[in-house]
Order: sequence, then structure tokens, then C-alpha cells
Amino acid sequence: MEYVIKTEGLTKKFGKETAVDRLDMKIRKGEIYGFLGPNGAGKSTTIRMLLGLMKPDSGMVRVFNKDLKKERIHILKRVGSLVENPSYYPHLTAYENLEALRKILRVSEARIHEVLEIVRLSDVAHKKVKGFSLGMKQRLGIAVSMLHQPELLILDEPTNGLDPSGIIEIRNLIQRLPEEYGMTILISSHLLSEIDQIATTVGVISKGKMIFQDSIHAMRKHSRQTIILKVNDGKRAEHILQGKGIYANYQDSMLLLSKLSDQKVAEIVRMLVQNGLAIYRVEEKQSSLEDIFLQMTREEA
Amino acid sequence: MLRQLLVADFLKIKRKGFWLLTFLGPLGVVALQMVNYGLRKDYLLQQSDNDWEYYLSNVHSFTPLALILGIAIFTSIIANIENETNAWKQLVSLPVSKMSVYLSKFTALASLLLVSSILLMVFTLLFGVFLDLGEEIPYVELFQYSFYPYFAALPILSLQLWIAIVSKNQGIPITTGVLGVVFAYSAYYLPDWMIWKWPSLMNAWGEPVVNALLGVGLGCVLYLVGMFDFVRRDVK
Ligand SMILES: Nc1ncnc2c1ncn2[C@@H]1O[C@H](COP(=O)(O)OP(=O)(O)OP(=O)(O)O)[C@@H](O)[C@H]1O
Ligand SMILES: [Mg+2]
Repeated sequence: MEYVIKTEGLTKKFGKETAVDRLDMKIRKGEIYGFLGPNGAGKSTTIRMLLGLMKPDSGMVRVFNKDLKKERIHILKRVGSLVENPSYYPHLTAYENLEALRKILRVSEARIHEVLEIVRLSDVAHKKVKGFSLGMKQRLGIAVSMLHQPELLILDEPTNGLDPSGIIEIRNLIQRLPEEYGMTILISSHLLSEIDQIATTVGVISKGKMIFQDSIHAMRKHSRQTIILKVNDGKRAEHILQGKGIYANYQDSMLLLSKLSDQKVAEIVRMLVQNGLAIYRVEEKQSSLEDIFLQMTREEA
Repeated sequence: MLRQLLVADFLKIKRKGFWLLTFLGPLGVVALQMVNYGLRKDYLLQQSDNDWEYYLSNVHSFTPLALILGIAIFTSIIANIENETNAWKQLVSLPVSKMSVYLSKFTALASLLLVSSILLMVFTLLFGVFLDLGEEIPYVELFQYSFYPYFAALPILSLQLWIAIVSKNQGIPITTGVLGVVFAYSAYYLPDWMIWKWPSLMNAWGEPVVNALLGVGLGCVLYLVGMFDFVRRDVK
């Protein structure tokens, strides 16, 4: 199998702290790879290493089946990226910002108009970026990343700071790219809900380690049923159950229990009633992808 | 690759006053002599047998200061353009080598300062002719006083650029820049090995060319040190 991105044992330390820990990432051509993890999990650090901005302490990165260490410039000709907060030159107009990069990338002037059109900034092309809203700056960053029609697009939290309609817009744009331009996309986020509709593959990183990497369908299979109890005093109920060695989690005025046998549920209900608690509801719920993601990262923590 | 980077760098310094400063620096240096000679021309002409030589040395008394101040300002603005929104990560993710990114910044500033030096020569000559200092224009000295300080200041350019580019805290290059200006002001009292003395063209041997040659030599060395340090560092 050929991979567009393949890392092996990728590791980066900052002092004593290991930000990325023996990470093996595999991205195939044409995929939209959702790179998920909570804040500080190591997503941006990984992405920096994929672009050669940071040197790994150990491990290796192969992009387009080439060694990044040896063929960085060659590889980067085919890669567009947006890392963390968008970078721009505030004293220049949107057009001039793209022009400065166009000179280096050697693409046609017409392409500037094209990308400005794609991210809907044509109207403000000749305004200084200083006055742009965060969403407009973010869109300019995306325009920059697509300037030289890359085969691989690496976007680090591209919807950061966008309003809901902006998020949907970017999402729709990204979704079109693999089909229309044959691009492969790596998109990071700390919210599964932002990418679950477009990602074909998901990699979950927590504390620098890849804890899950598979298709989004496979992730759905991880979903578990949860029993939800609504009681008059959830805090006390949680306490009682934990005292009996049953894992319960009280949040949002609901008591969450992992999937249990019918017998066990009956036993729990009896126990709570005997302790003088009033039970309003007992429900069964299929956990959402977001729950699975949260659970994965929590279990790791 | 360098050519494209340079074109981009010159585009990025737009609206930052670089060209204005390039023009104002030498103009200011000569303008001080316009004031000086405007106020007491007769007295000044009495001071020496060689009026041209004396005039050139008067102009030169402010050149190092202007040059070192200019370097401090240029290096900190050009670094700040990339630092402001951490555009380094965008720049270095392009298919370019980090060495050429650094070389381009250096070349852009070295070119602007060279233009300044050429303008200094032109302004000096024009005002000298206007003062009517004599038929024999000392072109060799004019050239030396215009360009030797530039070559002698290259180590300061290399050093300041390096500090400005790698410092996360912009207070550091500003501090070293201000110190440099203070040193330039007191060049007379500094030992010969201090690079901030070099643009004054003073040395124990009384040979200005020594400062220019040393400047080019050490300028290259400090440039290489800065460049390799930049290449080695991770981009945040
Ligand atoms: N330049 C740095 N110096 C020291 N520590 C760093 C540096 N960059 C990142 N870290 C640390 O490495 C860890 C991973 O950071 P990283 O930015 O990669 O996380 P992230 O997954 O991108 O998080 P977020 O969702 O907040 O963007 C964090 O603990 C962070 O504090
Ligand atoms: Mg991040």
C-alpha cells in the first residue's frame, strides 16, 4: 500500500516533556484524514514535523514515499499548509500577501484571483489584512495553502475562530477537494463534530500517542451503549454506587453507567431505592461519535 | 530561488519606510554639514589647508552613527514583519531552503545600505561642489569615506540581523541596537577590536582600508554563524 504520509516512531520532546510519542501515522491518497486530539495532545507539533519546521528527536517522516529529511524542498512543492493561527503580513493587502508568496511559488497571477474567489475574499482583495476579521484571516490562510495547487493539503484547525456558517463553508470546500482536484487532506481539530461529516479516516492522538487510527466507520463500531439514570440526588447516587465498586459518572444532572446486563441494572435500581433515592428515568443510549472520542481520550488520561 | 525570495522580501517591506530611511539617512548626514557650513563657513575654511579633505572628514563624523542606527532599525523591522504573526512558519513551509530565506533577508538589507552609501557619495559631492571647495575633487577619498564605513559596518549588520531574527523577545535586538548606537557615539574611546568602532575608520595603524577589509571578513563569519543557527533552530 502506498501512503501519501507515513510516519514511523515519530517522537518530539520539549525538555523532559514528550509532546509526540512514537507516532505512526498513515494517510492514503485521496483520504480526508481527521487528526483529532484534545488541546495540547501534540497535533500541531506533529504537523510541524510533517512540514520540516521542527526536527524530530527520533523516527521518520515519509511524504509521497520520499524521505522528508532528504527531499524536503521537493516534497514541499506539492504540499500546502496552514499551521495553527494563520500567518499574514498585516500591512499588506490580501492580494499583496498572496503576491509575495506567488513570487516564491512561481504560479500564475491568475491563480491569485482563483484562490481569492474560492475563499470568497475577492471583494476585499485590495484591503489591508490588518482590518480583516479573524474569519477572513483564516480564509486568507486557506487561500495561501491552495495557491500552488498542492496534492496534499495540511490544515491545522482551519475552522478555529470561524462562526457556524464559516465552518460549514470551509467544510464544504474541503469536502470537494479530493474529488475535484485529487487532493489528499490532513485536517486537525479538537472537536470531532467539526470533521466527522467529511473525514474518511480518523487518527486520534492523546498525550502525544496515537490511540486510534482507522476509518470513521470503524470508529462508529466502537460506540457503546450507556445507561442513563435520572435521580433526585445524583451526587449521592454516584457516591453510593462507587462505594459498591460500580463505575458511575454524574454529569449534567444525569448519572451515566456503562453498558450493563439487565440483571445488574435491576440490582442498581434496587440499591438506590433502598437508599431512599427517587428514580425518575432509566434510559439506554447509543453513544455518539463525540462520546466515543471523549471516552477514548479520557481512558488514556 | 534567491531571486524570487528577494522579490518577495522587497514586496514585504513595502509601506514600512525602508526606502524613505535609505534616502533620509545620507541626506541627514550631509544636511548636518549644510547647517555647519551654513553657519560658519569662513571659520571652517580657515581650519585646514585642504578644504575638501576637511569637509569630507566633517561629513564622515556622523556617517557611522547614521549607519549603525539604520542597521538597528532595518534589522528589527524586517524581523518583525515575519515575527508579528509568526509568518516564519508559512515562509519556511514553502519549497525553499532555510539558508536562502536567511540570505535573502541579509541581501535585502545589505542592498538598501549600499544604496544609502551611494546616495551619501552623491550628496557629499553635490554639496561639496556647491561649497566651492576647490577644483581638485579628491574622488578617491570621497569613495573611501562613502563606502569604507559600509564595509566596516557589515559585522554589525550580521550580528543585529541574527539577534533580531532569532529573538523571541523583541526587546533584545532593540537593546543591542541602542547599545551599538551608544558605542558608535563614543567610538573614539573604544578599543580597536570593538566592531562598533570600525565604521569610524579609526585604528592604530591609521589605515582606513584595514577596517573595511576586517569588516567584510568578520561580516561574512558572523553572517554564517547567524545563518547556521537559524537553520538549526525549530520554527515554532
Ligand atoms: N515550542 C514549544 N516549546 C515547549 N513546549 C511546547 C512547544 N510547542 C508545544 N509544546 C508542548 O507540546 C505539547 C503539544 O502541543 P501542541 O501544540 O502540539 O498541541 P495541539 O494538539 O496542537 O493542541 P491545541 O489543540 O491546543 O492546538 C503541549 O503540552 C505543549 O505545551
Ligand atoms: Mg495546535
